[in-house]
Amino acid sequence: MSNSSYLEIKNFHFQRITGASVDPIHLNLVHDEIYKQVIELALEKLKNVNGPPPCPFTFFVTGSAGRMEQSIWSDQDHGIIFYNNCKKEQVYFLQLGKEISEGLSQAGYSYCKGGVMSSNPLWCKSITEWQGQINSWIEQSSWETIRYLLIFLDARNLLGEQTYINLLKKQIFLTLQRKRMMTLVLNNSLYYKKGINLIGNLLFETHGPYSGTLNLKETAFIPYANAVRLLAIKEGLLESPTLLRLNGLRNTAFPSIKVYETQFNKLLHYRLAYCDHTNYESGHYLSIKNLTKAQIGEVKDILKHGTTLLRTVKKLLEKGDLNGHP
Amino acid sequence: MDMMFLMNSMWVMLGAVLVILMIGGFILLETGSTRMKNAGHIAGKTILTFSIGSVLFWAAGYGLIFGKGNSLIGFSDFFYSGYDIKGVSLSGAVFFLFQLAFAGISLTIAFGGFAERAKLSVYLVFAVLFSIIVYPPIAHWIWGGGWLAEHGKQDFAGSTVVHLTGAMASLAATIILKPRIGKYNKDGSANNLAGHNQVFTALSVLLLWVGWFGFNAGSTLSVDAGFFGFVAVNTNLAAAAGTVAAMIISWMISGKADVSMMLNGALAGLVAITASCAFVETWAAVVIGFIAGILVFYSIRFFEKLKIDDPIAALSVHGAAGIWGTLSTGFFATKELAVVGQPGLFYGGGFHQLGIQAMGVLVCGAFAFITSFLLLSILKAIMNGLRVTEEEEIIGLDISEHGSYGYPELVKTEHKLNA
Repeated sequence: MSNSSYLEIKNFHFQRITGASVDPIHLNLVHDEIYKQVIELALEKLKNVNGPPPCPFTFFVTGSAGRMEQSIWSDQDHGIIFYNNCKKEQVYFLQLGKEISEGLSQAGYSYCKGGVMSSNPLWCKSITEWQGQINSWIEQSSWETIRYLLIFLDARNLLGEQTYINLLKKQIFLTLQRKRMMTLVLNNSLYYKKGINLIGNLLFETHGPYSGTLNLKETAFIPYANAVRLLAIKEGLLESPTLLRLNGLRNTAFPSIKVYETQFNKLLHYRLAYCDHTNYESGHYLSIKNLTKAQIGEVKDILKHGTTLLRTVKKLLEKGDLNGHP
Repeated sequence: MDMMFLMNSMWVMLGAVLVILMIGGFILLETGSTRMKNAGHIAGKTILTFSIGSVLFWAAGYGLIFGKGNSLIGFSDFFYSGYDIKGVSLSGAVFFLFQLAFAGISLTIAFGGFAERAKLSVYLVFAVLFSIIVYPPIAHWIWGGGWLAEHGKQDFAGSTVVHLTGAMASLAATIILKPRIGKYNKDGSANNLAGHNQVFTALSVLLLWVGWFGFNAGSTLSVDAGFFGFVAVNTNLAAAAGTVAAMIISWMISGKADVSMMLNGALAGLVAITASCAFVETWAAVVIGFIAGILVFYSIRFFEKLKIDDPIAALSVHGAAGIWGTLSTGFFATKELAVVGQPGLFYGGGFHQLGIQAMGVLVCGAFAFITSFLLLSILKAIMNGLRVTEEEEIIGLDISEHGSYGYPELVKTEHKLNA
């Protein structure tokens, strides 16, 4: 299908998303499709003014899009890696990044508050510059630069060369391994919001417009995504989607990974089926009013498994760092 | 001169000073628990209402409480002039000052429920009315030889007289004033209008905690046998147990080690032990404080659910804990220590004392609430509403009621940023 404007893509977005709102994987594929349409249109627009791309490049998504965990609404997280290390190329791709960010915004994806967008020079670089930036991030090892590394590790190719991303990811894996930095990475991945109290009750929001609902993003998605990413780093898995990572971990020694995969699948389904998808923000909050007792039990189980997984991974990695393994 | 007389006077004078310093604690508590744009107003009006309360206590309150009268009200000794008081083995002026301080604390507690939305003029008028019509009858009933004293109601330093009375007036005000702008959303969910300075709140608790030694231990009115030390130990232990309990329960139930809740737990422990500090053993003081700490947690959640906007948790800290403290002697008062009334349920006294305590809570609570509600309703009609306008509330009472900010530089910067 061809679309002549971002607003038309937005309309397409609405139609397709509604149809895909029962299957999380299908839903993420639809998001990919919309992203691709926006990129195509942006390239088309830029071609008329600045000509075609001056060199091969990769456009990647990261964050929940990279992990294929997007819900009905999603914000933007993306970047560009281009081949030639030249000022002229940089200007071109930044221009492209700006066009894509604006297009995505018009198509219904809000801007990333943290600035993880290809319109930001930090996330739009030549492959050589990316290599330098990653080295400098590792060198600095501050909370912020480690966070950038983790964001990059969720990068997933949408257009162009997959090899660029893989190359950079391998560079990160190797350096972390060599420098025994897993504890540092771990420390950036441990925070989440408690979803269950000591006596086993769900902890709902107590204030604000979502009072009485459960913040699924912070209580459940964050521990799963963080724990699985940590395991992926340990095992050197290049995939970004959490489900693919979990699948890749099946052949490792990590205990009962299949159980966590099942729980995470359930989490994706619960969010899609029971959260209020009026807007991006509300889509993170689960109201249990429409859930049966058994379903509430399942939600608790999902939360408990998420925190257990993170705790187990923490122990495993701490042991690994002490023994000199990543 | 009699050494005991002098020593008692010295001790109770120290107590009066400590209790008056608690006003400072309340200033920090209220300002810390509310927003920056109202800080100067809240701090300043607390000094002003204490001053009004002082003058009224001198002119009328003391006479209505301790004057000769009937079992419902006293009616002599107005405009007290410093003479010694019959039957009191310390300086009359010191006794007067000590009692004045208590009336001032009760008034300050009552104003907790007015925070961030009541007109300054309402504070002034209600300070007068509370000091004459609400506080004195209850204080007379229990401490001035009134009908509850005749029944042997135990309230050593005022869980009912001071705290519950203040809290009930606060409840009436909170209901009539209605919630602050922005506290509740259209769908009924509550927003957290966080206080602007948790350090103030923590310091306020320490100041109040120390002041409470004057409040409780000073209420012995005597240095005889050093009994005040025992009362002080009970007071300290109850506060500590309340702190720990509130921290544990908030951690267990809400999943967070909530600092504000922990501080409220300390105050709840102090309020609860106020009635019973001289009548119970030390282990019981720990239990009383611990239960108060748990109670305050659930009480705060309860009032928020009822959509009663209580910015400084006065209803829970002084009301719920005040009720529990008063009832607690009905369980824990020992035979040896119960110089007023009977021993409690756990010390062979049966349900007798518990019944008296419950009656006291019920009657005093109802009287304070109904009287305050009526007075404030009349004021609302006469004064064209109790509340500042929406615009004044949004710009803050510092500027709307006083014309200057408590934090001039910071608030101006904030305005610029929001512009």
